[in-house]
Amino acid sequence: MNKFAQFVMGHRKTVIFLTILITLFLGYSITKIQIDPDILNYLPKSDPVVKLSQYIGKEYGGNLLAMVAMEATDIFTPSTLKEMDLLTNNLQRIEGITYVTSLTNILDIKESDGFIEIGTLIDLEDNPEILNELAELKDYILTKDMYRNKFISSDATTALLICQLENDIDKVKVAKAIKKQVEELELKSDIYYGGLPFYLMEISDTIVRDLKALTPLVSLFIIITLYLSFRSLTGVVLPLLSVLISSIWTLGTMSLFGIPLTIISNTIPVILVAVGSAYSIHLINKYYEIKSEGSLIERAEKTLFSVGLPILLTAVTTIAGFISFIFGSYLTMIQQFGVFSALGVFFALVTSTTLVPVLLSLVKTKPLLKRKDQPTVYSNFITRFSSWIYTNKLLITIIGLLIMAISIAGIPRIQRKVDVLDYFKPESSIRLTEEKIMKGKFGGSIPIQILVNGEIQDPAVLIEMKKVQDFLATLPNVNNPFSIVDLIIELNAAMGEGRQIPDHQDKVANLWFFIEGEESVDQLVNRDKSEALIQATLIYAPMDQITGLVDQIEQFIADLDSPVCTFTQTGMHSIYKNLDHSLLRSQLQSLLLSLLLILAMVSLLLGSFRGGLIGLIPIIFTLTVIFGFMGYSGIPLDIATVLVGSISIGIGIDYSIHFVNRFRQEKKSATNSKDALIETLQTTGKGILINMTTVTGGFLIFLFADLVPLQRFGALVALTMVSSGFGSIIILPAIILLLEKRIQIFSS
Amino acid sequence: MKNLFLILLLTLLLIFPVLPGITAEQLTAKAILEKVDTLLNAPQDQKIHIKLVLIDKNGKEEENRELIMMQKGEKRMGKFLSPASQRGIGFLSLPNDLFYVYMPAFKKTQRIATRQKSGKFAGTDFSYQDLGTQQYSEEWSSQLVESDQENYVLQLTAVEGNNTGYSQLMLWVNKTNFFPVKVEFYNQNNRLCKILTSSNVQEISGYFIARELEMVDVIKNHSTKMFLEKVEFDTGLSDEFFTERYLSR
Repeated sequence: MNKFAQFVMGHRKTVIFLTILITLFLGYSITKIQIDPDILNYLPKSDPVVKLSQYIGKEYGGNLLAMVAMEATDIFTPSTLKEMDLLTNNLQRIEGITYVTSLTNILDIKESDGFIEIGTLIDLEDNPEILNELAELKDYILTKDMYRNKFISSDATTALLICQLENDIDKVKVAKAIKKQVEELELKSDIYYGGLPFYLMEISDTIVRDLKALTPLVSLFIIITLYLSFRSLTGVVLPLLSVLISSIWTLGTMSLFGIPLTIISNTIPVILVAVGSAYSIHLINKYYEIKSEGSLIERAEKTLFSVGLPILLTAVTTIAGFISFIFGSYLTMIQQFGVFSALGVFFALVTSTTLVPVLLSLVKTKPLLKRKDQPTVYSNFITRFSSWIYTNKLLITIIGLLIMAISIAGIPRIQRKVDVLDYFKPESSIRLTEEKIMKGKFGGSIPIQILVNGEIQDPAVLIEMKKVQDFLATLPNVNNPFSIVDLIIELNAAMGEGRQIPDHQDKVANLWFFIEGEESVDQLVNRDKSEALIQATLIYAPMDQITGLVDQIEQFIADLDSPVCTFTQTGMHSIYKNLDHSLLRSQLQSLLLSLLLILAMVSLLLGSFRGGLIGLIPIIFTLTVIFGFMGYSGIPLDIATVLVGSISIGIGIDYSIHFVNRFRQEKKSATNSKDALIETLQTTGKGILINMTTVTGGFLIFLFADLVPLQRFGALVALTMVSSGFGSIIILPAIILLLEKRIQIFSS
Repeated sequence: MKNLFLILLLTLLLIFPVLPGITAEQLTAKAILEKVDTLLNAPQDQKIHIKLVLIDKNGKEEENRELIMMQKGEKRMGKFLSPASQRGIGFLSLPNDLFYVYMPAFKKTQRIATRQKSGKFAGTDFSYQDLGTQQYSEEWSSQLVESDQENYVLQLTAVEGNNTGYSQLMLWVNKTNFFPVKVEFYNQNNRLCKILTSSNVQEISGYFIARELEMVDVIKNHSTKMFLEKVEFDTGLSDEFFTERYLSR
C-alpha cells in the first residue's frame, strides 16, 4: 500500500490527465446509452414458458396487447362508429402492430332468414347502410358473448380496440406511436390506454420525471450535509466528484458494450452515491485527522497509506457481494446489474484512491476539525456514548437480538409483486383506467394462453377445448375465454344444427370452408390445423392469486389427461409466476452466496473465522431489519426492492471492516478496550456517521417520487443506511466488547 | 419584344409535344382497358380444372386443393375435389350477390351473404372478388402511366359505386395480346396489399388464358399459386346448370 501511495503521488499529473481523458471518452459514450424499461426482454430464453410464449407470439401474431378504449355517451352513433373505424385502420398501419381488432373489423357469423352472413361485424366500407340500423345492431352486438365485455362494455359506453404487437419490438415506441396517432386524429370520444406497452411507456416517462425533479434535491441535501460535516469545500466536492466520475465511467462502459439501462440498472448511480461516496469520505476524514507537519503531498500519501487498505478491502468485499448476483438470477437484467454495479464500485475505488488523494494534495485546505485535545461537542458526545456502550454492552446485545427476532417474525409476511401496474400510485391515471375501464368494463388486459396440440378439426378435440374454456370461465378474475370452438359452434348453429360442436369431423371440415384464411382464424389455429390457441384475459390480481390460478389451470389440464390432444399453458400470468418464484429464489441464493463470500474474505483478512462471523453482524442485523420492515410495512419484494439486500451487504460490510480495522489498530496502542472504542468512534465512527446521515437524508427525498418502486427504494435504502450505521457503531462494538476475551483477534 | 416572342415560341415548342400526348394517352388508357375486358369476357362459357397451392410465410407449401370451376357470364359454379376434408363442397355464385354453398357433410345448401367482397376464397389469397368476372372499364377510371417494350402500365382508380374493396390497381397489359399479366392491388388505406402475376399465357380455341397465376399477399407474406390444369371453352353449358338444384347434385 505504501508503494501504491508513493506511486500515485509520484504521478499526480498523469492521474488527473488520465481521469479527464477517460471521463470525456466515456461521458461521450453515455450520450448513446439506450433505455429499456421492458422486463420481458430480460426473461431467460431457456425457460419453457417464455419459449412457448415467444413461439405463440411469432405464430399467432403477437401475444402482447395494447388496449385503446374509446368512451362516449353511446358508442352506437354514426360519428363514433366512424371514428372507431378510422382509428382501427390507422392503428393497423403502425409499425410493430400485427393486428388491431375492434367491432369495425372483427369477423362475424350470423344466421338470418335462412342464410348465413359471414363478414365484418360493422363493415362501414362495404355496407355503410348499417348506420341506418343502429338500434338493431346494438341489440345484436350486446347480446353476443363474443363481443360484450370484450370489445364493448355492457352499457355500450366504452369500446375496446385490441392491438397485438410483434415479438421483440420496442413496446414503448409502439405505445408512443399509438398515442401520437390518436392525438393527430383529434377524436371526439375520450380515449384511455391500457396494457403493458403503455405501462412501460409511463414508467420510463415517470422515472425520467422523478429523477429530474428529485436528483437536484438529493444532491443539494448531500452537499449541505457534507459541508456541515467537513466545513470545507473540498469535503463536499471530492466525494461527489468521485461518485460522479465513477457513475460516468460505469454508464459509459455499459453504453460502449451496447447494454441498455433497465429499471434495475438505473439504480447503479444511486448505489454508487451510497457506497462509493463512503470511500472518499473515509479518506478525507483521515486526511483531516492526520496532524502531519509535512507537505500536502506527504499528508495525502500518508492518508492513502493508512486508509487505502481498508478501502480496498471494503471495495473488494462489496464487489464480491454484487458479483454473486450473476449466479442464479432469473432475469438477465439482474445479472447485468450485478456485473456493472461491481464495476461501478471498482471505479469508485479507483477514483477515490487516485484522483481524490491527488486533488487533496493540490488544494490547500484548513480543516475545521478541532484538534483532539480541544474537546468538541462531537468528541464529548462520543466519549459519553462510548462509555454508555461499554457499560450496557449486554443490554445492547440483547436489544439488538430482540430487534432481530421481531424482524425475523415479520419476514414471512413479505408480499411479492411482480406486476408492472404496482409501480403506479393508486390515484395515477394508469391505475384509474385499469380499475375503471379494463377491470370494470372489460375482462382485464393480461393475456392467458393455452396451446392445444391435436387434430383440431376432430370434434373430440373441440370438446376437450370447450371443457378447458368452460373451466377458465369459472375462475375468478379470468374473462373472455375464446377459441376456434366458438366460431365452429356459431357456424354449426347457422347451418341449423344447434349451438353445439358438430358430431362429425367432416362437418367441422365443411364449416372450415367458410372461415379459412380469415385473419381472426389465423390467430386461433395454425394452417395445418394441428395446433390451436385458447385465449383469455386476466384482471390484475395479487401475486398469490395469479400463482394459484396457474396451478389450478395446470391441475385441470393434468386431470383432463386427454387422449386426443395436449394442452400447454403460457401467457403473461405464467411468466409472472415464474418471475415471482425466481425472484425469491435468486434473492435467497445471491444473498447467501454473497454472505458466504464475504465471510470467507473477512475471515481470511482477520485470520479468524469467529472474527469473520463478528464482522458479518452489521450485515445480518441490517438484512433482518430490512426484510422484517418490508413484512410489517407491506412493502413488497419486487424487482426493485429485491436489490436492497445487495445494497445492505455492500454498505454493511464497508462499515464493519472500517470499524473492526480501526478498533484493532487502536487496541494496540490503547490501554483498554473502552479507550480504543472511544478513539475508533471519534475517527472512523465519524466517517460512518457522515456517510450514514448524508445518504439516509438523500434517499428519504425519494419518498416524494411518483413511481412507487422509487419511493419504496428510497425508504428502504434510508433504513439500510441507518441500521447498517447503528449496527456497526453500537451493536457491533457491544458484541465485540462482550466477546473480546473469547476471540483472540480482539483480545490481544 | 423580339425576346418575348422567342420565349413564347420556345414555350409553345416545349408544350406542344406534350399536349396531344395527354389526350392520346387518356383515350388509349380507356381503349386498352376495354380491349382487356373484351379479351377476358370473350368465351361463351368455360370449364376449368384448377389446382391451388398455398404457400405460407415461411415458404412452406400447404395442402393442395383441387376444384372444377364452370363459368358462364356472371354465373359461376365450383366443386372441390380435394383435399379429402373438403371434397364435394360446392359453390354457386349468381348476379346480385347471390352466393350458395353446398356442404356434403350436412347434405345441405346454404345461402351465404357475402357482405365482404374481399373475403377470402377457401383460405387462398384470392378473394371472391378476384375470382369473379372483371369489367375493369366499368369500375375503374384509368390512366396510362408507363409504356415499355412489352407492356402498358395503367393506373386504375375506383369510380363511384366501385365495390371491389380496393381503392386502386396498377395493371400491366401485354401490348400484343392485351392480356393483363400483372395486377397490383391497393387496399382502402392505399397500401399495396396483393400482387397477382399471370404467366404461361396461351391461346386456346382462339381465347387467351393464363395457365398459371400467383397471388401474393404482401402484407401477410402468404401466397397462392393457381394452376389451370384443364381448360375447355364454349362447351355449351346451359343456364339450368347454374341453379341450387344442380349444386347439390
